[in-house]
Amino acid sequence: MPADGAHRDDGYSSNHHQGPVVAASDGPGSKEPGASPSLGIHALSKTFGTKTVLDSFELELRPGEIHVLLGQNGSGKSTLIKILSGYHVPDPGGKVEVGGRELHFGSAASSYNLGCRFVHQDLGLVETSSVLDNLFFGTGFPTTAGMIRRGAAREKARAALAGVGLEIDPDVLISTLAAAERTGVAVARALLSDDSDRPLVLVLDEPTATLPVNEINRLLSTLRATAATGVSILYVTHHIDEVTDFADWVSVLRDGELIDTWPVAKLDRERLIHQLIGAELEKVQRLESPHADTRAHPPILTVSDLHAGPLDGFALQAWSGEVTGVCGLTGSGRETILGAIFGVLPREAGDVRVDNELLPPLRTDVAIRTGVAYLPADRRANGGIMDMTAQENLTLVNLRPFWRRLFLRRKLESAEVDKWFEDLDIRPRDGASAPLKTFSGGNQQKVLFAKWLREVPKVLLLDDPTQGVDVGAKAELHRHVLRTAKAGAAVIVSSTEVEELVTLCSRVLVIQEGRVVDEITGDRLTATALNRSFHLEAIKAGNEGVTDA
Amino acid sequence: MRRERFNFGLDRFSGLYLWVVFIAVFGIWIPGLFLSMSTVHLIASTQAVSAIIALAVLIPMVCGQFDLSVGANANLTGMIAIVVQLKYGWSLAPTLLLSLAIGLLVGLVNGLIVVRLNVNSFIATLGMGSVLAAFTLIVTNSQEEAVPASTAWNNMTQYKVFGFQVIIYYLIALALIAWWVLERTPAGRYMRAAGGNPEAARLSGIRINRLSWWSLIASGGLAGFAGILYTSLTGPSLTFGPSLLLPGFAAVFLGSTQFQPGRFNVWGTMLAIFVLATGVEGLQLVSGAVWIGDLFNGIALIVAVALAANRRGKPLLRRRRRPGSSIVDADGGEDHVQDAAQVGREA
Repeated sequence: MPADGAHRDDGYSSNHHQGPVVAASDGPGSKEPGASPSLGIHALSKTFGTKTVLDSFELELRPGEIHVLLGQNGSGKSTLIKILSGYHVPDPGGKVEVGGRELHFGSAASSYNLGCRFVHQDLGLVETSSVLDNLFFGTGFPTTAGMIRRGAAREKARAALAGVGLEIDPDVLISTLAAAERTGVAVARALLSDDSDRPLVLVLDEPTATLPVNEINRLLSTLRATAATGVSILYVTHHIDEVTDFADWVSVLRDGELIDTWPVAKLDRERLIHQLIGAELEKVQRLESPHADTRAHPPILTVSDLHAGPLDGFALQAWSGEVTGVCGLTGSGRETILGAIFGVLPREAGDVRVDNELLPPLRTDVAIRTGVAYLPADRRANGGIMDMTAQENLTLVNLRPFWRRLFLRRKLESAEVDKWFEDLDIRPRDGASAPLKTFSGGNQQKVLFAKWLREVPKVLLLDDPTQGVDVGAKAELHRHVLRTAKAGAAVIVSSTEVEELVTLCSRVLVIQEGRVVDEITGDRLTATALNRSFHLEAIKAGNEGVTDA
Repeated sequence: MRRERFNFGLDRFSGLYLWVVFIAVFGIWIPGLFLSMSTVHLIASTQAVSAIIALAVLIPMVCGQFDLSVGANANLTGMIAIVVQLKYGWSLAPTLLLSLAIGLLVGLVNGLIVVRLNVNSFIATLGMGSVLAAFTLIVTNSQEEAVPASTAWNNMTQYKVFGFQVIIYYLIALALIAWWVLERTPAGRYMRAAGGNPEAARLSGIRINRLSWWSLIASGGLAGFAGILYTSLTGPSLTFGPSLLLPGFAAVFLGSTQFQPGRFNVWGTMLAIFVLATGVEGLQLVSGAVWIGDLFNGIALIVAVALAANRRGKPLLRRRRRPGSSIVDADGGEDHVQDAAQVGREA
C-alpha cells in the first residue's frame, strides 16, 4: 500500500464536506501525450424503442488512469457497461476500441479477449467457498491431468491478491471477510488472467454501494494499487463524495447525455451535484436537538442489556420526535441492532419495550402491531418483494382498509397507493401495478418508505435507508424521515454514511464491541467528529485489521 | 426501461391460441371422432380430477413450497374410500369424511416436517409420497378391489347436469374458491409475498411458517378429495396417483405463463390442464397409442418450465446467483436462466 494512500485516508473524510473536492493533485492526473488510450469510446448511442438511453457517448482512458463516471439511477450508466461487456449492441455508428483493437459489439468473448474486466455491484462471490476457489471459478484452476494443482493455484492466488494490495489468506472463506476485502477479491478475480491476455480496462459498477464508510478508503487504496500496475479503471457510481479525490478524471452522465468530462482538480462539490441532477439541491436541515421538550415524556423505546450476536449489553432509549443515529465499524454490532430490536434476529438476552410493552423476540407481527416499523438494509434481499407489484409491496403490511365484504377491493387500494405515489413523488407515477424490480433504486426505496410511513409508526427503525439511492432521491427521503420524526415518531437510523447521520440525527451513538461507547450531540455532531470517533475506535480496536495503514 | 409493444397477447394468451390450433387440427384430421359432444364431456370429466390435483400443486407453490405427495395422497384416500365401503360396509358420508380427513392429515404432517423439522419441502413431500404409496399397498393388501355397488357413490361424480358429469362442477367451485383465496384475500397476498421473498415477507410481519403449513394442509385436503373423486369416477386402481402428479406440475408451470405471466395463477393452470388434455386426447384418437399421454405431459412440463424460466424479468422462483455469470446482471435486474434442476434445488 502506498504511503500517500494511507495519508489520504485520514485526510479524506474531513475535506469532502465543504471546500474543494480535491485536496491535492498528486495523482497521475495529467494526460501524457504519448500514451495511447487503453479504452476509446466514440459516438456511442443506444436506443430502446423510441427512448434514447445513451446519446453520443465519448470517453478516453489511458493506461493507469482512473476515470469516475457519475450518474444518477437511470442515467444510462448500466447501459454503457452492458455495451462494453458485450451484452447490448449499440446503435450503428458508435465505436469502442480497447488497446487499439475494435470491440465486436454483442460479444462477451470479444470484450474479454480485448482485456475488459468487470466488477459488478453484486460481486458474484460464493460466500461458502474459500477465496482461492472463488478466484478460480471463472478462469479455471491450474490443473495437471484434471487434478487441481493446489500449490500452483495458491501461489497464483497470492500474487493476484498482492496485485490489488490485499494480504489475506487464500484459504479463508469469503463469508469471513470484511465487505471491502470481498470487493478486493472480486477485483483480483476479474484481473486474474491466463498469461496471454492481459487485462487492460477494469470497469467497476457501484462498488461502494454496500461498503461501510471506513472500508471505502480501503477499497480506493486497492484500486489505486491496481491502477499503479497499468490497468485503466472506469469507476461508475452515483456517489460523489467518496470518489472524486482518488480519480484523475470525472465525467457526468445525465439522462443518457454526457454532460462533460473534467480533470478532477477543476471541480467543486456543489457544482458537481448541480451537474449531476441538473438542478440545485435543496439542503436538508436536521431537527435541532429538541431534548428539553421531548424528553419531558418517558421514552417510547427502551432497550436494555441487549445481547444478540455481536451485541453485548447494548442499551438505548428513544423519545418521540427525536432522530437517533447509530454508527460503528463493521463487526461492532451496529448492523445487528435494529434487526434485534424489531425481532427479525434472535436475541439471547435483554428487553425491548415500546410504550412499556415488551416486544417478544422473533415476532415481527407483534412488533408491527405495537407500532414499530423496520426498513432493512439490503433492499433486494430483505426489503422488497421484487416480483410483486409496487402496489402490493406498498400495502403488504396492512390490507385491512381494503378488505370489505369478503374481497380485497382493488379500487380502494389503488386510491391509497396513488396518494402515496403522489406524496413521495414515486416515478413512474402510473407504475403502481408494475413489478417493484422495474423501478429504479431510489423509487424502490421510496415505495418501501411509503410501506412503513403508511403505518404511522411510533418507532421507525431505518437500516442504511438511502443505500443505492441517488443524490436527489436521497435528499427527499431524508426530508421524509425528518417529517416523520416531527410528526411524533422516534426514529433510529443505523448508517454507514457519516454524512447521512450528520444530516438527520440530533444525536449519534457510537457502537464498539457490541455496546454504546460514546454519544455525540449538538455542536459536536459533525462529519469530522464522527470520523474521528471512528478512527479512535479503530485504534482502540488495535490489531484487528480494521485499519490498513 | 419498459417497452410498450403492440401485440395480440400472443404471450399472455398463447395457451388459448394453442387450444384453438389443437381443436382445428384434430377437427380437420378426424372430424368424426374428435368433433363430438362426447369428446367434450369425456375431457371435462376425466380432467376434472387432474385439475383439482393441479390446484393442490398450485396452492403451496404460490407460497414457495412444493408438494410432490399429492398423487400418492390421492391414491391412498381413493383406495381407502373403496376399502371401507367394500370391507366394512361404510356408507357414503363417513367414507367421504374419513378420506378427506386422511388427506388433510397428510398435509398436516407434511407441514410439520417442512416447518418444524426444517426439511426442504421438495424432499419432505417426495419422501412422504413414497411412504403413502406403501400405505396404499398395506390398506388394500395389494388388491385392486371391485367397484362398490352403491349408486350414491357412483352418482357422486357421474350424475349428469346439463349433459356434463357433476364432477366438473366440483372443479369449477374449487377453482373459484382457490382464485378467491389467492387473488382476493389478504391470505393470498401474504402467500405470494412468502413465495416471492420469504425474508422480506417475514420482515413485513407475515408469519410465513404458518402460511406454508396451511398451504400444505389445503394441498393435502384437495389431493384427498381428488382421490375420492377419481375412484368414484373411474373405479379403483393402485397406480393412478403418480400419473396425476406430472400433468399437475406441467399445468401449474405452463399456467404461470398465461394471463398473468410470471405468477402462478388459477385460471392459467386450469387453461393449461385442458389444453394439454385436448392435445393428448386428439393424439390418442389419431394414433391409438397409450403412451401418448406420458410423452406429451413430460415434454409439456419441460417446455413449460423452460418458457417460464426464460421469460425475461419475470422469475417464478427465487433464483440463486451463480458465480462468474455476472455479466448479464449489471444492474441486478436481469435474470439468469433457470433450469429445471434448479427448480428442484430451490424448493
